Amino acid sequence: MTQSEVIEKLQGIFDDIFLEPVKLTPALSAKEVPEWDSLLHISLIVAVEKEFGIRFRVGEVEATHNVGEFADLIARRMGEP
Amino acid sequence: MTNAQLKDDLLAGRPQFWDRLAQSTRDASQFNELLMLSSLRKKAHLRGLARPGIDGDPLRVALLGGYSLYPLSELLDHLCDAGRFPCRWFLGDFDNYMAEIMDDGGALYEFAPRVVVLMPSEHRCKYSGKLTDPRETQRAEAAQVVESLLGLARRLHEKTGAEVIMTNYFLPARHDLGPYRSRTLGSIWSFRKWVNLELGLGAPPYLHLCDLEFLAYRHGGILARDDRAWFESKQPCSSTLLPHVARELAAIISNLRRPMKKVLVLDLDNTLWGGVVADDGLEGIEIGDTSPRGEAFKAFQKSIRLLKQRGVLLAVCSKNDHDKAAAPFEKHPEMVLRMEDFVSFKSNWEPKSDNLHQMALDLNLGLDSFVFIDDNPAEIDIVRQFAPEVSTILLGPDPSGYVAQLEDCRLFEPRTITVEDADRTLQYQSEEKRRALSSGVTDMEAYLASLAMVATISPFSAVDAPRLSQLINKSNQFNLTTRRRTEADIHALIAAPAWACFSIRLKDQFGDHGLISILIGEKMDDRLRIDTWLMSCRVLKRQVEEVALNELARLAIALGCARLEGIYLPTPKNEMVRDFYTGMGFTLVRESTEAREFELDLKSFQPRKTHIKIATP
Repeated sequence: MTQSEVIEKLQGIFDDIFLEPVKLTPALSAKEVPEWDSLLHISLIVAVEKEFGIRFRVGEVEATHNVGEFADLIARRMGEP
Repeated sequence: MTNAQLKDDLLAGRPQFWDRLAQSTRDASQFNELLMLSSLRKKAHLRGLARPGIDGDPLRVALLGGYSLYPLSELLDHLCDAGRFPCRWFLGDFDNYMAEIMDDGGALYEFAPRVVVLMPSEHRCKYSGKLTDPRETQRAEAAQVVESLLGLARRLHEKTGAEVIMTNYFLPARHDLGPYRSRTLGSIWSFRKWVNLELGLGAPPYLHLCDLEFLAYRHGGILARDDRAWFESKQPCSSTLLPHVARELAAIISNLRRPMKKVLVLDLDNTLWGGVVADDGLEGIEIGDTSPRGEAFKAFQKSIRLLKQRGVLLAVCSKNDHDKAAAPFEKHPEMVLRMEDFVSFKSNWEPKSDNLHQMALDLNLGLDSFVFIDDNPAEIDIVRQFAPEVSTILLGPDPSGYVAQLEDCRLFEPRTITVEDADRTLQYQSEEKRRALSSGVTDMEAYLASLAMVATISPFSAVDAPRLSQLINKSNQFNLTTRRRTEADIHALIAAPAWACFSIRLKDQFGDHGLISILIGEKMDDRLRIDTWLMSCRVLKRQVEEVALNELARLAIALGCARLEGIYLPTPKNEMVRDFYTGMGFTLVRESTEAREFELDLKSFQPRKTHIKIATP
C-alpha cells in the first residue's frame, strides 16, 4: 500500500472514532485536532492494528510525528509476514 | 451501526441517547467499543444533554496502584456512569500508592473516599531468595506479603471508613521453569498462587477482592498479558482483558450498595426438561441419565438446587394445567427438583407477567428481586414489557449451555453467605402455614398469643455486621428512610456514642425468622432522631413494631431524650409505611413531597403491650 492508500483507509477509521469530522493530510498532527486526546489516541491505535492486521513494535508509534509518518509505519508493518 | 445512531442522538440532543448508551455499554465487550462509548458519553455531558432520574451525590472512589490507572479509570468511570451509578474519582499516581496511603495529611485522605480500589504492584510480589530455600522460609515471606497487603487495607479503612477493593495477582503464563514451577514456593507461579489464596481467606469484611487470577484464567493466560503495553504505558494487562477487569470492579463497587436478587422463577417445558409434558407425557419428557439431552437438563436442575442451598427462593411459572405440570415433580424418578423446593408454583394460562406480579404480592417481595428464566423469547418479551423490574434470562438453543448461562448471569452473587440464607425457604414455607392458621383464628389477639413469639434485641455488633448490612441493603418496603449502609458503615456506628442502634430477631412456634428488624437512632440534643427503621415484611403486624418502639423509647429516655423524631422518605416501594408513624402514636409535624416528619413526646409514653416475649441475647 502506498502512503495515500493507507491514509484513505485511515480516514474511514477516523470517521468512525471522531465525532467532529477530521480531514486527514500527511502533515496533520494530533496537536492540531482538539478532539484527538489520549483517550481517542488509544482507541485509534487499537482500531488501526485490528483493521490493518498488524502489530506495532514497542515504542514506534510514539516516535511518529504526523499522519504521513504514521501511514508510512503502517505500510512498513503491512509488508511483514 | 449503533455508534452512528448514538452520534445522531447526541448531535440532535435526544434524551434517548442515555438509554441507548446504557444498552450499548452492556453489550460491548471490546476495549475499543467501550472507549468510544465513553468518549461519546463525556461529550454528551459537556453538551449538557439532560439525563433524568439520576439523583444523590456521586460516590467518591479512589483508585490507587502499581500500574498506570489510565485508561482503566476511563472504562470504570464509563461503566459506573452509564450504568446510572455516577462516581467521582481520585486517581493515584503511577506506583505511588504506598506514599499516598502513608501520607496522613495527603490528597487521598483529603478526598475522603467512600471506596478505595487498590491494585498492588505485582513486581513486589515475588520470592526474594532461591528456589531451593527451605519451604518454611519461602512460606514466611509469602505470609509477610499478605500481612503487608492486609495492613494497607486496614489502614485505608481505619483512616477513612471506606470499603476497600483490592486486586490480587496475575500468574505468569510462560513455561519458564517448566514442571519444576509447582515443586517450590520460590517460583513466581507458586508464590503468587499462595499469596492470592491467603489474601482471599484472610480478608476482613470491609475488604473485597477483585480476583485478577480468576479473570485472567477465564480469559486465557497468554491473552491476558501484554508486555508491550507494560513497557509503553505501564498497563496492568492486555487491552482485551482490561474491559473485564473494569466490569468486575464496577460490579463490586455498585453491588456494595445494591440489593441482591432473591427469587428465581422457572419455566418448565424445555427449560427444566426436554419436550412438552402435556404432549409427550410423563414418560416422554427428556430428563435424567438415559440420554445426553436428559443429562443436560438434569445438570441444569442440579445447578438450580445449588442456588436454593445458597438461599435463593425457587418458583415455577408455566403455561400448563397444574396437574400435568406437577406430575414430573411428584412422580418422575430422575427429577432433581421436587415440589417442596418451590415457594410458589403457578401453572395456569394467565400471562406470565401477571403471574409474576401475583407472586410478588404473595411473597411480600419487590418485583425487582425476581429473576425469570425461559427458553421462549415471546415469554421473555412479555415479562420485559409488563414486569420490567424483573431480570430475565433467555435460554439459548442448546440445553448443554444452560448451566453456564445460569452460572454467568451474575445476579445471585453473595457477598457473605449467612446461615439465615440457607434457611429461607423453610421460613417462607412456614409463613404459608402461619397464614393457614391465621385464617382459622378470627381473634387476632388469640392468634398472636398462639404463635408463642420470642424476640431477641441486640445492640449492633461486629459479628452481626454482614447480616445487618445485608438487610439494610435489601429492605425496600417496610423501610422508612431507605438509607443504605455497608459493613464498614455499621462498624463506624458501633463505635459512635451518640448513636443508638439495635436489631431484633424473632422466633415462633413455626420457626426461626432470624434477624428481621433494624433500628438506628441518633441523639440530637434532647431528641432521638430515628435515622433508620426497617423490618422484613415476613413479620408484618406481629407486634415487632411495638417491641421496636418500646426499645427505642427505653434507649432514648436512658440517653436523656424527651422526644422521638421520625421521618418518612417516600420511594417507589415504601408506600406501605407512609402512615406508619401516626399509627404508632406519633404526631405529624412537617410534610413536603420529599419527606414527612413526626414526633412522639416521651413524657407520657407507656410501653406497648405485646404477645412477644423478650429474651436476653
